[in-house]
Order: sequence, then structure tokens, then C-alpha cells
Amino acid sequence: MDIKLSVQGVLTDPKTETQVVLLRAEDNKEVLPIWVGAVEGNAIKFALEGILSGRPMTHDLLKSMLEHLGLRIQKVIITEIKNNTYYALIYLESGGSLFSIDSRPSDAIALALRSHVPIYTTDEVFKQRAGDSLDAWLARLSPKDFGEHTA
Amino acid sequence: MLQMKVRGLMYDPFNNAFIIILRDEQEKEVLPIWIGKPEAGAISFALEGVFTPRPMTHDLMKNILESSHAKVISIVITDLKDNTYFAKIHVYYQDSEYTIDSRPSDAIALALRADAPIFATDSVIQKHSTEELDRWLDNLRPEDFGKYDA
Repeated sequence: MDIKLSVQGVLTDPKTETQVVLLRAEDNKEVLPIWVGAVEGNAIKFALEGILSGRPMTHDLLKSMLEHLGLRIQKVIITEIKNNTYYALIYLESGGSLFSIDSRPSDAIALALRSHVPIYTTDEVFKQRAGDSLDAWLARLSPKDFGEHTA
Repeated sequence: MLQMKVRGLMYDPFNNAFIIILRDEQEKEVLPIWIGKPEAGAISFALEGVFTPRPMTHDLMKNILESSHAKVISIVITDLKDNTYFAKIHVYYQDSEYTIDSRPSDAIALALRADAPIFATDSVIQKHSTEELDRWLDNLRPEDFGKYDA
């Protein structure tokens, strides 16, 4: 079943120079954090904060291109997590036919916010997230994180 | 209008930016365009044929165009105002041609991925030489003068 998400904000992860996009399920308020690059994080932040840059940024160009060609974006879905990588699909409609394009979630979200279309994910992603986040956290631990309190 | 090729990408330490160097086929004209770091990354991946496991933003753009059977005909660097370049992307889709405004960096990143030719208008090439001169004059400092005073 698809779960509708809203974008809560973009945080900077001080350890890794990456940014974390916080998505929240609209029904039960569960949070889905997605790590993205600094550039992609900014593209999402700009859209959230309604910042207008003097020049069209890359996702503005993408949106403008879709509008020129009459390709209507319907929705984006964060579809799965594999090895800590999130996958997303962008659904487009043209002349009555619907098709989907593989995308990074960051691009899909940056585009969805600019085009005012809903962002969804699935129950499966939420279930995988619980396990994967823990694994990722464990994987990032280094030996010096242990044993600080040994006598 | 002149067809241009991407001849290089350099780091400009003074402005903490990158410069993409375009040259015409006869190598008579040089057009340097200052771009940001993310845009330089998008261009260098395409120049070096770096394969990323997930599609980057310009790959996504290309994939959307391909899936829709739209084709990038060309990109044109159209204007230069106050040191800012402007470009247009020409797309052929369902028997019509569409023209979309773009930053040159996005247009070039897309052209390299879509194997589309890059053009610059004559006026950009002319203006570029005069703006270059202006910038050079602006950067002159008092100590640059009078070196040959007796």
C-alpha cells in the first residue's frame, strides 16, 4: 500500500558533509530519513523554502522542460532500499499514456516539490528502513567508538 | 553561429569556481564560461565517461527525454550579459521543435550526454572579447601602471 509522505526538512549531517531529508508519513507520522548529497539537499531546500535563484537551477530546468513538452508529472514513489541505496520512480503522463522513470529519491523529491505533486512510499520501505538504518549505523562505527569507558 | 567543442575544464582558484573552455572547430575562438562546482562535476562525469550506479540529475533528464522519444537537436549559447551567459536547449518532440532557456552549464551537461552539438552565436563571441577586455581593465591595479616610468 502506498503511504503519502510530506517533506519535513533537510538537515546537514556534520560527520559526513551529506544532508538528510526527513520525510514523514502523513498517516502515522513515522519518519523516513534519506541521506542525499549536498547539491541534491540544496535543491530540495530551495524548493521547500521557496527560494528563487536568479537563474533556473537544474531541477527548475527539468520542470520547465517537462512543461514545454507537455509531459505531466503525476507523482513520485520511493520504491525500495537495497544496500542502503534508496530507489524512486517518477510517474509521467503524456497524451493519455502513463510511464515511469527510474530516479534517485533526491531528484524525485526536488522535482515533486517544484511541480506540487505527491510523494509516496510503500510499507516495505518503512519495514526495510528499520533494519537498514541500524545496519548503516553499525557499519559506520569505528573501533574508537568502543571501549572509551574501559578501566 | 559557430559550432563549439568542449576543450577543457579548469579550476579557477581566485574565484573558487570552474571554467569550461569551448573552442570552435577551427580553433580560432575560445569561449571560457565560469560555472559552479556541482555543474563542473556534471560536465566532467560526461567528459570522462564516468559511470555512476544511479542516474545523476542530467542523466535523469536524458532518460526522460529518451523515454518520451524526444531528441535534443542542439544547444546554443545565446547571450552574454554582465558576465552571465545564457543558453537555449532545442528539443524535437512529436513533430515540433521546442526551445527551453537554460544555464550554459546545464545545457552543456545535457548536450554531452545526448551527443548533441553545441553552438555559440556570433554576438556572444564578439561580446565575450569585449567583456573580457573590460574585466581585464577592471582588474588592473595602480601598481600595474607606470612600471616603465623613467
